[in-house]
Amino acid sequence: MSKDMKFLVVDDFSTMRRIIKNLLNDLGYANVTEADDGQTALPMLQAGGFDFLITDWNMPGMPGLDLLKAVRADPKLAKMPVLMLTAEAKREQIIEAAQAGVNGYVIKPFTAVTLKEKIDKILEQRANAA
Amino acid sequence: MSSGILALREEYGPSIAALAGALAAGDETAFLSELDALVRRREMTLFGELRKLTGDLQSALERFRLDSRLLVLAEKEVPDARHRLDHVLKLTDEAAHRTMDLVEQSAPLADRTATSAAEIQLVWKRFRQRRVDVTEFQAMVVKMDQFLNEACADMDRVRGNLSEVLLAQGYQDLSGQIIRGVMTLVSELEVALADLIRLSKSGADTSKPVKEEPARGFGPAVPGVNNGPAVSGQQDVDALLSGLGM
Repeated sequence: MSKDMKFLVVDDFSTMRRIIKNLLNDLGYANVTEADDGQTALPMLQAGGFDFLITDWNMPGMPGLDLLKAVRADPKLAKMPVLMLTAEAKREQIIEAAQAGVNGYVIKPFTAVTLKEKIDKILEQRANAA
Repeated sequence: MSSGILALREEYGPSIAALAGALAAGDETAFLSELDALVRRREMTLFGELRKLTGDLQSALERFRLDSRLLVLAEKEVPDARHRLDHVLKLTDEAAHRTMDLVEQSAPLADRTATSAAEIQLVWKRFRQRRVDVTEFQAMVVKMDQFLNEACADMDRVRGNLSEVLLAQGYQDLSGQIIRGVMTLVSELEVALADLIRLSKSGADTSKPVKEEPARGFGPAVPGVNNGPAVSGQQDVDALLSGLGM
């Protein structure tokens, strides 16, 4: 995977999407698309072309956890790296996300360093597994 | 015979017998004093009834006042509060976007200044070491002129953007005031609802506990609001996940 990887950022707040997009651009990932909840995101993912999904949890329509489950249940998308970027901080939720197959969990408020670390780590694991 | 008439007979029987006795004996004083006592006793009962009625009326009025207050709260102030919170959302959204616009406008200016300064610095170092010929020196002077002009203009704009970033934070004051107003409304609603429950308590508790929906999410953790065991930050999350083998 390289810097041309295509990211989908899913969050219901446009400010947060913009922050994440800017941070990704700073990290050298220029190819970033946005969606405002799981319902909009899923068809975009299914249409193909995305390499990495960053999603919030608490969203109207389809929440991030359901999106994660839908991605894992879709044979074409099942292997997609998914990073949860959310304010949801209950231990049971983090465990639930892990069981649903999330690759990383970043809690808001977060720092640019944390975001980079988690993305790098996920990509590293991908590279080792491949 | 009903128990009512029995009670009445027990209550009034002796007085009426005394009245009849006094009448038969022709004792005017005894008759009148016994009659007075009888009337007073009857009045006391009536007053008791009246007091109870007044009490009922008072709580009905209280209930009515509460009902109409709740009506105003439900029909007018709660929708108002929703609009006000919507406005807060809009204010924070606008401020965040405005700030990001200004940061995005400023970053390339700062970048350009840094890049140009670094370029000039390279030639300048060699100039200080007297390793620059006349042509190169002339080019450096031209470049320096251009850089100084650009840096002045760019930094003026950055400076202006920074004061606008500062101004954009004014949303905190406005949204804070609105949120405080809604908090007052919420506590008023809380009191009115508690009063309503107190006035219409029927004994049996038929309310069902509100079901939580974990899939939808709980929103950000708020200090002082307990929502079950939660992590305190990224380190906690990492520890939890590595405990799960991630």
